[in-house]
Amino acid sequence: MLYIKNGIVVDPKNKIKAEKMDIFIKDGKIVEEKDVKKSECKVIDASGKLVVAGGVELHSHIAGSKINTGRVMRPEEMRYVRLVAGKFRACVGRILMNAPAIGYEYAKMGYTTAVEPAVPPIGSPHTHEELDSIPMLDKLALPVFGNWHLVLKFVAEKNIEKLKAFIAWALERTKGFGVKVVNPGGVEAWMYGGNMKSLDDKVPGFGVTPREIILSLVEANEKLKLPHSVHLHCNNLGIPGNYTTTVESIKLASKFSNDKRQVLHITHVQFNAYAGDSWRNVASGAAEIAKAVNSENVTIDMGQAIFGPATAMTGDAPFQFTLHKLLGARWSNKDSEVESGAGIVPIAYLPSNPVHTVQWAIGLELGLLCDSNKVVIATDYPNGGPFTEYAYVIAMLMSKKMRENELKRVHQYAQKATVLPTIETERTLEEVINMTRSLPAKILGLENKGHLGIGADADVAIYDMNPLEVDTSSEFEKVYKVFKTALYTIKGGEIIVKDKELVKEVWGRTFWIDATKKVDPSLIKQDLEDYFKYYTVEIENYGVDEAWMRNPQRIKVV
Amino acid sequence: MLVLRPKTKFDISVEAEITPELATKNLKEIENFQIYCGNRTLKLKDLFEISKQGDEKKILLEGDFSKVKYIGFGMDGGEIIVKGNVGTHCGALMKNGKIVIEGNADDWLGAEMKGGEIIVKGNAANLVGSAYYGDLAGMSGGKILIEGNAGNYIGDKMTGGIIEIKGDAGDFIGTEMRGGQIIIHGSCGFVGSDMRGGEIIIKGNFELLPSFVEKEGFWIGDVNVKGEGKIKKLQ
Amino acid sequence: MNIVCTFCGSVCDDGIYEEGKVKRLCKLGSSKFSIENKQRLKAPLVDGKEVSYEEAIEKAAEILVNAKRPLLYGWASTANEAIRLGVILAEKLGGIYDQCASVCHAPGVLAVIEEGLPGGTLGSIKNRAETIVFWGANPMEAHPRHGVRYSISAKGILVKDRKHRKVIVVDVRKTKTAKVADMFVQINPGSDFAIFTALRSILNGNENAVPSEVGGVKKEQLIELANILKNTKYGAILYGLGVSQSRGRDRNVEAAIKLVQLLNRFTRWVIWPMRGHYNVVGAGEIPAWEAGYQYAIDFSRGYPRFFPNEFSAVEVLKRGDCDAALVVASDPAAHFPAAAVKHLKKIPVIQIDPYINMTSLLAKIIIPSAIYGLEAEGSAYRMDGVVLRLKKVVDSPYWTDEDILELLLKRVEELKR
Repeated sequence: MLYIKNGIVVDPKNKIKAEKMDIFIKDGKIVEEKDVKKSECKVIDASGKLVVAGGVELHSHIAGSKINTGRVMRPEEMRYVRLVAGKFRACVGRILMNAPAIGYEYAKMGYTTAVEPAVPPIGSPHTHEELDSIPMLDKLALPVFGNWHLVLKFVAEKNIEKLKAFIAWALERTKGFGVKVVNPGGVEAWMYGGNMKSLDDKVPGFGVTPREIILSLVEANEKLKLPHSVHLHCNNLGIPGNYTTTVESIKLASKFSNDKRQVLHITHVQFNAYAGDSWRNVASGAAEIAKAVNSENVTIDMGQAIFGPATAMTGDAPFQFTLHKLLGARWSNKDSEVESGAGIVPIAYLPSNPVHTVQWAIGLELGLLCDSNKVVIATDYPNGGPFTEYAYVIAMLMSKKMRENELKRVHQYAQKATVLPTIETERTLEEVINMTRSLPAKILGLENKGHLGIGADADVAIYDMNPLEVDTSSEFEKVYKVFKTALYTIKGGEIIVKDKELVKEVWGRTFWIDATKKVDPSLIKQDLEDYFKYYTVEIENYGVDEAWMRNPQRIKVV
Repeated sequence: MLVLRPKTKFDISVEAEITPELATKNLKEIENFQIYCGNRTLKLKDLFEISKQGDEKKILLEGDFSKVKYIGFGMDGGEIIVKGNVGTHCGALMKNGKIVIEGNADDWLGAEMKGGEIIVKGNAANLVGSAYYGDLAGMSGGKILIEGNAGNYIGDKMTGGIIEIKGDAGDFIGTEMRGGQIIIHGSCGFVGSDMRGGEIIIKGNFELLPSFVEKEGFWIGDVNVKGEGKIKKLQ
Repeated sequence: MNIVCTFCGSVCDDGIYEEGKVKRLCKLGSSKFSIENKQRLKAPLVDGKEVSYEEAIEKAAEILVNAKRPLLYGWASTANEAIRLGVILAEKLGGIYDQCASVCHAPGVLAVIEEGLPGGTLGSIKNRAETIVFWGANPMEAHPRHGVRYSISAKGILVKDRKHRKVIVVDVRKTKTAKVADMFVQINPGSDFAIFTALRSILNGNENAVPSEVGGVKKEQLIELANILKNTKYGAILYGLGVSQSRGRDRNVEAAIKLVQLLNRFTRWVIWPMRGHYNVVGAGEIPAWEAGYQYAIDFSRGYPRFFPNEFSAVEVLKRGDCDAALVVASDPAAHFPAAAVKHLKKIPVIQIDPYINMTSLLAKIIIPSAIYGLEAEGSAYRMDGVVLRLKKVVDSPYWTDEDILELLLKRVEELKR
């Protein structure tokens, strides 16, 4: 039992704005005062400190064949030593890190839950093995659907019932949490060197369009009432002028309604928010995108670029090849069965580079121009850079002064190609806590995450800052320092970080969605049988069983 | 000047990032200088006899140092003389100063070296003046002279400086080289694959890759990277 | 009952096990499941004396904890669960983790560091590849069912069958695979690098840099080959030890990858190594996420470092640079060069293996283990990185590698405290 005493609590979901409160924890949950015996509680004196829910990472490539190939490809990244083996595991990696380092670094930052957002379905056992090697966090994995031959077939047949049954089957087999879509149709086209240039291009061999794929998957997802919406990586990522495709994709949400959550989540939008028609005249399309986001039932995450090294790794294989040609850098690619694809290319964002400066500015613009209840802080790790710099993003969103300082040191192209210099908005503490906790939890449909109400999971972060005394607009250096490392992190009721140091290694759960009871599996039996003739594994050997996982947590959809 | 002699023949290799800077420290600091043997952390005095003769920025290594790694790693001036053989990573990332090895050198000699001079009286092994795995540039300045033979992978991704080998060299010389010069008085294998710039000058035999074209008595390439590197015969 | 084969990197998962009989698998694979004729110990041995598992593990833990530089080698023929414990054990001991790839396909890892790996799963090759080039690889003998299941005559959804697929073999001799190919290009030993380079020059429009013959192949034939590669809709180069263990090693693979990068500017090509042992990919993937590297990992300074020329098992042994060894599911005494085996004879060796082999003869401690895929369950990586679950079909008195390593790790942690 834990008793967090006298902390200043910010809990946007429960409408608590910087109030002095006590928090009680028992059996891994937040409980009422009457449920604990204070004399038996371990007491944390949080007087004058900020107490919030543990952070929820909505989009970070932390496990699976992509990041692992990235590590192998980039030993120069792994040479950076973070922690020598002792009580805790050895930790290495500058931006790409080994699995223990990922868990520890999130914990040190006050984060306790993370989503791996791009699982090649046949690679799901690898992803889960690797997730099971990440300590400290609760985890979720999103398999990719947007180029899977069976999905394309059902979309072409306009058979939503089959698509529903297939999604339920696939989530169960991959122990996935939701429906990720990466460059719908474009990755299949890439198998013969092509791509999708608009929502209405036809996917070779299937005759369906990205628009139809997105609409069908959203319809099936909504009819299944899955906790999370479709999680979309838009077409045309990384191409100047792509913001129009993104706006069009966002507007597809208008055909659906849901009063509990968004009907579509658009991810790492920075990479899909470019105006202009070449890298020479690239500019920000963030304002137009923000307008669309604010008027539709969608949410986004930023895909913020952080200056310094990064590694591009996405399921968007054609984009990765374009990047390889552009940079002349190393290139890994993985065409997965007839399901999906992926690619990896090392990159770096330089403040002296005009294009990179625009990318950096766009992420911030999205964070400032979108409704704070619609945009989540994320770097699309490791695509935009490290997750360990969220404190920088938070501080920038909260301080115009800091942005002015930073704008002075970067390439001045940002002054004319973006609207960042003109934005007056300064996010409040409550807003950034929402953007890192309550909102991502709500987007995922995780009712017990991202808040400190009674019954919530006892995932808590305490930061060394009294929100009643700090002027976040002018004291941005302090804000950065405070959010860089939590004073305490509590995971499932256990103290894992104390006085900014790791104190205990714990192993979280992996949430997955079981919607199999909502569908008729016989609908797709024949399709699966026909299809598995062309697979290289037997249908009975496809996917992951709960028994092989460290700590699976099934969430049944009824 | 500092003189070091191994107390015993080493079975397990030793890592001792000794640079001439150490010779300027007081004896106590020198004795307590941290070194590693397998998974044990030790002091310099545990494994070496130490004698300090004045403050000259110079180190004399007497005896067999073939299992001692990282001698002169990143050094920035002064001199190291190795009376025998030396272990891996000697003079890697060196910026300035001089290393003389009277015996043989092991792998990664002068890897990513930036300046200074290395002279090997015997032979050198593989990866002389090369880039470490994943890095984009190898040796960028200074000079490495090997009086005997050298192994494979010499001057990978080299961007500047000179490597001169009096004897033969192995396979893959100046791969992805962008600048600087490699001179081989003996013979070697494949040369200059994917080189963009710099010169490789060879007196003996070598194998020309099918990606170089002859021009005015020398070869230019590698055509596959639109390179302007030159391979010449040493007259 | 369905079984997953644990012989080669093809990890065929369509085997049937009925009353001790194996169906569908090839001869090599079936041999894995008929264990009657194989030599197995009844119990662990320490200095030739039978002891309990606990005693043997205790003794092993003492040796490892007291070592200044223990080498932990093998791992390609065990399950992922055991490999993970092995990596953590190496970290706790401040030792060296190395695996069988370091004597076969590890040069490919160095090439990936230089250029990346533009590849695909076997399913993408089976279903899409119109042209398959086996370069220095002979699957008809080394991976007997590869051709039927994944490549040569596999029936795909887009490329229907053998008739719709062109198979090319590039090798130094006319192998069994070459005999079933549509085109065989015979090259001189040690000329792979020059030939990859020549193909790049031709595709780049620099035929003038290519002499009339390269590595025993006439320029006209190289041009013909280049044209086939360029005009294929989707192709795959599958390379074997002929590329990664002949002159040029990692540089050969690097050149091949550069060729594939170039081909993707015209059409679609992927490249992939034909990995040998059934879980040699797992022996690399797991340390990669646990420690950042695939093989030749030294933990002596408390954090992982990667230098194949110093930390791969053969180099460590040849340099006499270790004072104890734990060998798991491998037989270095049979396969390593004499100079390396010589040092292995000088140091205490602990072996964990289902079978007795050459290494057993020089081991101080031998701990027999259950056979994955037959007597024990666990996961393994097929050659293309696809994970499959190995089945347990019969009971066995033996501990699994995972059980043994779990207790060993626990005892090591306790002794170090």
